[in-house]
Amino acid sequence: MGTVITTDALTKQYGAKKVVNHLDLQVPGGSIYGFLGPNGAGKSTTMKMILGLIHPSAGEITVLGQKMTDENRLSILGHTGSLIESPSYYGHLTGRENLKIICTLKDVPEKEIDHVLNIVRMENQQHKKVKQYSLGMKQRLGLAAALLGNPRLLLLDEPTNGLDPAGIQEMRELICSLPQSHGMTVLVSSHLLSEIDQMATHVGIIDEGELIFQDTLASLHEHSRSKICMKTTDNVSCIPLFKAAQIPAVLKEDSVYLSCSDDRTVAQAVRMAVHNGIGVLRLEEQQMSLEDIFLHLTGKKVHI
Amino acid sequence: MNISFSRQLSIEKLKARRRCLWLIPTVILAFLVLWTMWSYQTVTSKDQQQGYSSLLFQLPLLNTILMPLMIAVISSRICDMEIKGNTLKLLCTLQRRRIIYDCKLLYSAKYLLLFCLGEMLLILGAGQMFHFTETLPLSVLGLNFLCTLLVGMAVMILQQTLSLLSENQLVPLILGLAGSFLGLFSIYFPDRISQFVLWSYFATFTPLRMDWDRATRALTYYPIPFPTVKFILFLVFTLLLYLLGKHRFQKKEL
Repeated sequence: MGTVITTDALTKQYGAKKVVNHLDLQVPGGSIYGFLGPNGAGKSTTMKMILGLIHPSAGEITVLGQKMTDENRLSILGHTGSLIESPSYYGHLTGRENLKIICTLKDVPEKEIDHVLNIVRMENQQHKKVKQYSLGMKQRLGLAAALLGNPRLLLLDEPTNGLDPAGIQEMRELICSLPQSHGMTVLVSSHLLSEIDQMATHVGIIDEGELIFQDTLASLHEHSRSKICMKTTDNVSCIPLFKAAQIPAVLKEDSVYLSCSDDRTVAQAVRMAVHNGIGVLRLEEQQMSLEDIFLHLTGKKVHI
Repeated sequence: MNISFSRQLSIEKLKARRRCLWLIPTVILAFLVLWTMWSYQTVTSKDQQQGYSSLLFQLPLLNTILMPLMIAVISSRICDMEIKGNTLKLLCTLQRRRIIYDCKLLYSAKYLLLFCLGEMLLILGAGQMFHFTETLPLSVLGLNFLCTLLVGMAVMILQQTLSLLSENQLVPLILGLAGSFLGLFSIYFPDRISQFVLWSYFATFTPLRMDWDRATRALTYYPIPFPTVKFILFLVFTLLLYLLGKHRFQKKEL
């Protein structure tokens, strides 16, 4: 499967401010593409442009191999499902009636409703009015609506927003299962690295409208490799010892930081310290936070 | 994915389930029935002689007060469900915006049409009930129906556009209320001012005038020529309003 979404220099400008700036997104087919960035980075605007809800100021969008135009937009989007920002629903109607509306609009048989309700595990709540649903149930209904018609592409904008931990876990499992069980490609946005880490196969990081990283999750892990924080009785003496053994280490505040975290090197460092009469007080692995990765990638601090 | 317009229109019916939209024109019509019965409870032969003219003159005046509110509530209830439920983001990925706009307008127009027909029935029913001796002025009745429907549509286009563009439905509802007052007071405005008040047109197109004889304390209704040019200009204005409203909705960023 080739690339399912490609954006070429996609830009959205409000006045002088570029909310999305020359974005070149490439979402591979069959992937779960995690679109990561702090709040206000331009994730939702990008997704809305892909769905034609916002007109781009410049650039091109290709979805499922076709360049999006006003004329073919709906026929392309007929193969996609979306859940943008908060879930869409008619509160005065039941869950089933809501799905019936989407079924008619997507021109798919109503028997599919049972299938998608089964996927999101909402069979028992289908006859309840949606205004009585919890936020988690509304999100699941939104996902069920997006799944109607078995789309080839799903765009989910912060689908776990407002969910409780159990709901987040459930939604995450559901999203992870989609590419394998239904052959879908999923573009999912989030401002949480941990969330993307548990779902995505590919990652794109956006900051202030610019794509600062785009690759596989494994590649991101390269950037976010952990450090070992070592607290000893004599931190200063450790540094020349480790340098002599070619173990990369720096002294920061009251700890020694080893920038390689493979077990053999760590064991070697501990052994050397102890052998030289330096007591090892504490040894802990520190994962790079998203802020650190941003700092590493862009050289600037962001607050998430 | 290419579903027919009629199928997309039928979705409006699905969406409007449990919204009790029929109740709004029904309540207004019920009020008009009660008002008519109260007005003709002591009917004289003079009243019977000009019964239809009297109703065809007075109902448009009442429409000026009641219809802006009725239309604002109908449009707001039909559009509010999309705003409240954040559904436009979903609908616009499945339907063309102009179709969404047209379907909503047509669905709202159904209630306007039913109201206008109900008002016609009220006039005919009153004629039977109170034994009007005046010959039914069919042309005036037809014109009244047509003009009420046209002005109602213009107001509906304005209300729907505002309802679809506003996040808070209080704004279009306040406009509806303001329209009622403006329409009513514009009767007392000079023509050069009232012609700029959209809601005043419910009464403007009535081809009848009233003469009050102070000495005999008698009311007489007499026909005047129908303002055809004004009507055509209003028709053009309504069309422009529709195109502008649809264009604004199509440009709305979600």
